[in-house]
Amino acid sequence: MKDLSIQEKAAPSGFARQKRIPVGCKDKNRATGWFLLGTAVLTVISIAYLGIDWGKLFSRIPDIGVVFWKLLHLDFSNMDLIGSSLLETVSIAVLSLLYSLILGVIFGMLAAKNVFRLPVLSVIVQSFFTFLRAVPTPVWVLLMLVCLGMGPEAGVAGLCVHTTAFFTRSFAQSFESIPDETIEALEATGTSRLSIFCNAIFPTALSQIVAWTGMRLETNFSECAILGMVGAGGIGYVISTSLQGYDYGTAGTAILLVFVIAYLIERIFVRIKKKFR
Amino acid sequence: MKQRIPLIARDQKRLYTWFLIIFAVLFAAATFFTGFNPGVLIANGDAFWSFITEDFLPPALPASGKIANILSSVLVTLALALSSTAVAAVLAFFVSLFGSETISPFPKCAKFVRGFATFLRNIPALVWAFILFSSLGIGTGVGFVALCITSFAFMVRAFVETMEDVSEDCIESLSAVGASFPQRVSQAVLPSCMSGFLSWFLYCIEVNIRASTIVGMVGGGGVGLTLFSYIKSFQYDIALSIILLIAVMVIVVDQITARLRKEIGK
Repeated sequence: MKDLSIQEKAAPSGFARQKRIPVGCKDKNRATGWFLLGTAVLTVISIAYLGIDWGKLFSRIPDIGVVFWKLLHLDFSNMDLIGSSLLETVSIAVLSLLYSLILGVIFGMLAAKNVFRLPVLSVIVQSFFTFLRAVPTPVWVLLMLVCLGMGPEAGVAGLCVHTTAFFTRSFAQSFESIPDETIEALEATGTSRLSIFCNAIFPTALSQIVAWTGMRLETNFSECAILGMVGAGGIGYVISTSLQGYDYGTAGTAILLVFVIAYLIERIFVRIKKKFR
Repeated sequence: MKQRIPLIARDQKRLYTWFLIIFAVLFAAATFFTGFNPGVLIANGDAFWSFITEDFLPPALPASGKIANILSSVLVTLALALSSTAVAAVLAFFVSLFGSETISPFPKCAKFVRGFATFLRNIPALVWAFILFSSLGIGTGVGFVALCITSFAFMVRAFVETMEDVSEDCIESLSAVGASFPQRVSQAVLPSCMSGFLSWFLYCIEVNIRASTIVGMVGGGGVGLTLFSYIKSFQYDIALSIILLIAVMVIVVDQITARLRKEIGK
């Protein structure tokens, strides 16, 4: 250490002062800095706009602990109701997934630019489904409830709207990622459009379709658990009614089961993803 | 000559056959449990059509005095999504530092942090909203906290994954020369992971715009509540214009975030 300090003193004064070598590239970080600044300013403005009564909120935080304590006293007496509604929720999630898988392949075919080579059609289909996707699922379920009345039909149909829209876009992307040469080669042999799709495009995209489906199952289950809360049946309905009726034990059991199933789906999906790599 | 050459590898074929079988079994089981019949949808086609053409179309504007109210509720939804995501992102950044085994000063706690985040994440935002409504009462603040919890948990996971992907070598070399924990964070993690963090942040904003509409429907305020009240009072044509407004809001936000992501990823 001593030697170093002597050397530093011995060096010309200009060198001694410039101990640091700038490492970062300044041009690169400018956009990020502006973005962070803008976000911070907007956040402060929006918190001010919301006008939340923070004092009241913080004073009630101990109540959260109380509610959790009550939720932890699991009550298994309503297990048959919880079990059947959980089964219904899972079934609705699976059914809507499978139906929209079929619909998604059909509409994805129409939306992809390289399947039928009709740009107008694909633009129309794409923009229609962009609209459907932009509206949250519970809104569609509420509207379906009005049309079809209570029951699994409304849940499946409502979930299908959003899931189909999601699949259409992602499948169309997978179809379009297939090299043009393959399609051109088949076109040159005079194969019909549908046959090109069945024999070249669809088999190539199949692994991606399976991956998208697995990813969507997770989302569909949690959305399906939500649906009950806006008035459709299933586990969400049990949770919301028992919470509103201060029946915390039943609600706690139902929430725990929702968590367990969501966690299982996630684990299985992670396992499959690792196997595919 | 007549023998066909199999185009697909055998193990791949077996995999897809299994998937098909699993799908078929799930389909049969789910149809059995719910008693769902797609024929019901077709049989109700007339009711559908009349609902769409008579009640739904054309979109109608509400009384002119209420337009300002609706627009301000859209602003509330946007503000709710942005502020909750930003607050959650700041919290998630600090927590995720302890959730990654390579960076955390207490590697043994990393598992617990991630487990906690997994627990928070796997319970949907709306369930959180309901739990919080029963302890904090109804209002915008509760919606804010509920959104914060889920996006916080999601970002902890995403941030931890980003850190583990990017910066292992950097951190190892820095700790080899004796850098302290804050130095490691500011010199290795931040520069290499910042763009990854920000793109997850933008993704989370997209998700939260939708989620804040939903949380609004059950009492969190904002445009979701407005829409819910119009649907409940059977004014479907006005509800349609609000749905269109929500769609426009979501699409515009998606466009903005896509643009920003490109700008930051440069």
